[in-house]
Amino acid sequence: MDPNNRLSGNELRNSIPNQTAFSHFNTQHPQKWEDPSLIDYSTRIEPPFQGFNQVKISQDGLGNEMRSTYKIQDWDPSAMLNNLSFLEQKIHQLQELVHLIVGRRMQVLGRPDEFVTQQQQLLNADLTSIIVQLISTAGSLLPSVKSTLPAAPPSVGQFGQLGGAVFPLPGLNGGVQLQNTNGSKVPDQPNQSDISANCVTEQNLNIEEHDLKEEEDADEGENLPPGTYEILQPEKEEILAPHTHFCTICGKGFKRDANLRMHMRGHGDEYKTPAALAKPHKEPSSEPTLIKRYSCPYSGCKRNKDHKKFQPLKTILCVKNHYKRTHCDKSYTCSRCNTKRFSVIADLKTHEKHCGKDKWLCSCGTTFSRKDKLFGHITLFQGHTPAISVEESKALVGPSDQKEGNQGTNKAGSMNFNFPPNATSDSGIQSIMDVKGNTDDPAGIFSPLNFDNFGGFGEFPRPPFDDSESSFAFLLSGSYNYSQKNEADDNSNNLA
Amino acid sequence: MKRQKRECSEPSNPFDVLSEEIIFLVLDLLEQNPLDKKAFSLVCKSIYATESKHRKTLRPLRQEFLPAILSRYPYVSHLDLTLCARVSDASLSSISNACPSNLRSIDFSQSRLLSSSGLLGLAVNCKNLVEINLSNGTELKDSAMAAIAEARNLEKLWLARCKSITDMGVGCVAVGCKKLKLLSLKWCLGVGDLGVGLVAVKCKEIRCLDLSYLPITNKCLPSILNLQYLEDLVLEGCFGIDDDSLGGLKHRCKSLKSLDMSSCQNISHSGLSSLISGTEGLQQLTLAYGSPVTAAFADGLKKLSMLQSIKLDGSLITCDGLKSIADWCISLRELSLSKCPGVTDEGLSSVLTKRRDLRKLDITCCRKITDASIAYIANLCNSLTSLKMESCTLISREAFVLIGQQCHSLEELDLTDNEIDDEGLKSISRCSKLSTLKLGICLNITDEGLIHVGRTCSKLKELDLYRSVGITDLGILEVARGCRDLEMINVAYCKEITDASLLLLSKCSHLRTFESRGCPLISSFGLTAIAVGCKQLTKLDIKKCHNIDDNGMLQLAHFSQNLRQINLSYSSVTDVGLLSLASISCLQNITILHLKGLTPNGLAAALLACRGLTKVKLQSAFKWSLPQPIFEHLEARGCIFQWRDKVLQAELDPKCWKLKLEDTEVE
Repeated sequence: MDPNNRLSGNELRNSIPNQTAFSHFNTQHPQKWEDPSLIDYSTRIEPPFQGFNQVKISQDGLGNEMRSTYKIQDWDPSAMLNNLSFLEQKIHQLQELVHLIVGRRMQVLGRPDEFVTQQQQLLNADLTSIIVQLISTAGSLLPSVKSTLPAAPPSVGQFGQLGGAVFPLPGLNGGVQLQNTNGSKVPDQPNQSDISANCVTEQNLNIEEHDLKEEEDADEGENLPPGTYEILQPEKEEILAPHTHFCTICGKGFKRDANLRMHMRGHGDEYKTPAALAKPHKEPSSEPTLIKRYSCPYSGCKRNKDHKKFQPLKTILCVKNHYKRTHCDKSYTCSRCNTKRFSVIADLKTHEKHCGKDKWLCSCGTTFSRKDKLFGHITLFQGHTPAISVEESKALVGPSDQKEGNQGTNKAGSMNFNFPPNATSDSGIQSIMDVKGNTDDPAGIFSPLNFDNFGGFGEFPRPPFDDSESSFAFLLSGSYNYSQKNEADDNSNNLA
Repeated sequence: MKRQKRECSEPSNPFDVLSEEIIFLVLDLLEQNPLDKKAFSLVCKSIYATESKHRKTLRPLRQEFLPAILSRYPYVSHLDLTLCARVSDASLSSISNACPSNLRSIDFSQSRLLSSSGLLGLAVNCKNLVEINLSNGTELKDSAMAAIAEARNLEKLWLARCKSITDMGVGCVAVGCKKLKLLSLKWCLGVGDLGVGLVAVKCKEIRCLDLSYLPITNKCLPSILNLQYLEDLVLEGCFGIDDDSLGGLKHRCKSLKSLDMSSCQNISHSGLSSLISGTEGLQQLTLAYGSPVTAAFADGLKKLSMLQSIKLDGSLITCDGLKSIADWCISLRELSLSKCPGVTDEGLSSVLTKRRDLRKLDITCCRKITDASIAYIANLCNSLTSLKMESCTLISREAFVLIGQQCHSLEELDLTDNEIDDEGLKSISRCSKLSTLKLGICLNITDEGLIHVGRTCSKLKELDLYRSVGITDLGILEVARGCRDLEMINVAYCKEITDASLLLLSKCSHLRTFESRGCPLISSFGLTAIAVGCKQLTKLDIKKCHNIDDNGMLQLAHFSQNLRQINLSYSSVTDVGLLSLASISCLQNITILHLKGLTPNGLAAALLACRGLTKVKLQSAFKWSLPQPIFEHLEARGCIFQWRDKVLQAELDPKCWKLKLEDTEVE
């Protein structure tokens, strides 16, 4: 083992005591060790990374304990002290290195060039790694950590450049481990320079995926270097528990601590003091140790810390929403449309605000509030087609020409004209009415009785026009050589 | 025994010897007149049966007979329902039930409303259907489009004036009918970028796309221009497309052959040149009523060496613009400059000197050009086949002699409202290929000139003598003798025309359109002759022929079974005559204003009896004298009423009429 590598391993181990405050939770929850994925994980990992692994496990323990304690532990002075001592250590290491470099410079003469450059590259890598660690730890000391996080991607870029070297880069190796969080891949790689390249590409991939998917909790672009934040993983039961704040006296549960405090007033005057009602630990100076990030307890989920491309969630609320949306049944159904279902009640409420306005419907059942979104969707998916709303098609079927025509006919038929051929054209209309009367009534069609009523069934296809034509025959007969046409003639005459 | 039987049967039916092929050949030759075909098919059973196999196109007059007709003609491939005012659900279902396997094309273009369930049945059952025309379906909704989308093999779809359909409906069609090659969305005002864009994305096979008057913008253009096979693109009146959007276009549609961007007010030469810069194969360009045509504009046409036809009607055009067009468009065959202000002798001559191969030229209402231009046309463009020069007021009567001397290839000549006289007409009669000659409002011509035309232009099919008051029976006599192929003649307001002309014209058996407005000497006698002789008469205008009465109508009703349209205003026809017209089964369009002998009852009877009516022009007085339900009933049958409230006007003297026209122009 390269001494430098060991060194970084040591560093990691050194950082473990930082978390000692929580380490006892491990013993309280020994079942955590039996998690198969974790065991599998630790067996695959080489010894130097054991420490790192432990760090995470202790954090798991912490997550379990969170239910009762995490609210109070906003600021941890001991952690800060630990960070400071870590910094101190690092600065010493840095000093030593610089001394070494100065010493080397003296001995450069007389050595083969190749060896010198190798040595220097090695030192450079060490330097970079230490400085990065310094910056990131120092950054976590700042009061408003979230906004002033150390710029991790640039430093990774640096790593990438360094990765061009032929030599193994132990310091960098540690960095890679941290970046990936899941180190299982790295030890398999014989050529370490490859790893750094890998690391860079993976980083890019992650960013790209973010851009594409627009994950729900919108922590895109946040690339916290691991180790600069602690990972908390609430239990499934905790996530699904309707209330997280319980009254110690009566046991009533609340969603918000503030509401619990208001509730406590009822239990006695001692809870009515401004101090008791005030939000605990409000002092601005009291800055907690590391920023907290959350992991989803569902193994295999991208939001689970064991995932290869783990992406932490920002707040406990994010975890809750994420878990419910992704891993739970959608039990809330919209009462308006009865189709859309949600697992988070807030989502249902948001939907109900717009429900009914989503009039742009695809054949796959997806609705859109905007027409262009629907058409974008249809453009993308083969076979999907705009769905015409049911109301419209119903409305269309209603006033079909047939009905309208016959309504008009009925009315016209009910009148009495005074013109000479009145009787004939009237009877023509009447015949339509008869037919209509029967077709309108579906039962009538099947009833044999009704057939008797209009014996003119055979004449059904003959339009009233024919009747009226024959009625004009008297006008034309004789003098104009007008002859009645037979049936066949009629048919062919109707073709132009 | 068998032989004996044969011997016995043979003399009984000599037509059995004719093979199917021979009967088919005979039927092919009878294609001209449908009535002849019917008569032939009634000769004997075998010919009747053969005829049913021969017919490929059906145009039923009454949808009630559809089931019978479809079973009689199982090999029909094109079904034209334009004569059925309203295609009912029952008809649609009888088509989809019978569904002749050869049926490829259906035309519903006169039906305003078809039920979507009926269309669905059609689309699902008739798998071989490749063409549907639903134009004028103003009441068709998106659900009808969803039904059409089920016709997966559809290649041509016309949806012009389907105003109620939206992007959603067109989207359905785009997704369903992937094989579409032609799509017309003209006047579909509810369709925008999204629908058109989706069509362009989903229907990759499209060749012809008509997007006239759609509220589309630049957004859908890239995907349209990406269509690999697009040849014919019509963007007429698309006001939403502008220069800014065209400037940034990267797509070039290489396959484009014809582009119409008429009335696109927001497009100047820069936008156009960026649109057509990559389309080297462009053959037709129509830019009517567009931005001014300048030299810069014409320079945009530089690389279009294949361009054969340019139409710039109604656009302001400069002399330089015309010169550039002459320089760049080396293949130019057709140039249309109708109503272009700014066309001068200089500009026109530059085109004519360089592009001598010009076949068609339209200089209608180019009022600045003079005899000089006509001299160029006559001397340089000898291969001209079509010349339209209505109302070129500066051209003197001598110039027309030149045209007749040089342009012998002319087939179409429009000289409406010009100074041409008998000398000119005599010269023009040398153009023996003439098939269309328009001499309306040519007040200087008389029978003397027309006699020459009648003697030499034997191929004449259309002759317009509207208000050419110098024409009498003598001229018409010669035309009727010489031009036996005549299909259309207009002698409106030639007051000297009598029944004698009509008797002669009745020998032109191909006559389809006869217009004799304001000829007071024509009587029912003449009309009877036309009715008997011209069996194919489809359009008749006898407005203000006071001497035509019920007798004429009765004869017309009996003989002119192809009549579709008639104008009877101001004639002496009464209830009886009008009622008799009901026996013309394909009568669709009647105009009956100021008929003194018409009573409300007679009108009601006639309207109810004429089953095929689609349009009736009536005096608004009748609106109140007849019960409303009659109109409701007729409208339900598919008839549209146009109410007119015109006061009776005394006819003006023709010369005075022209003077009056000029007065108003000056104003």
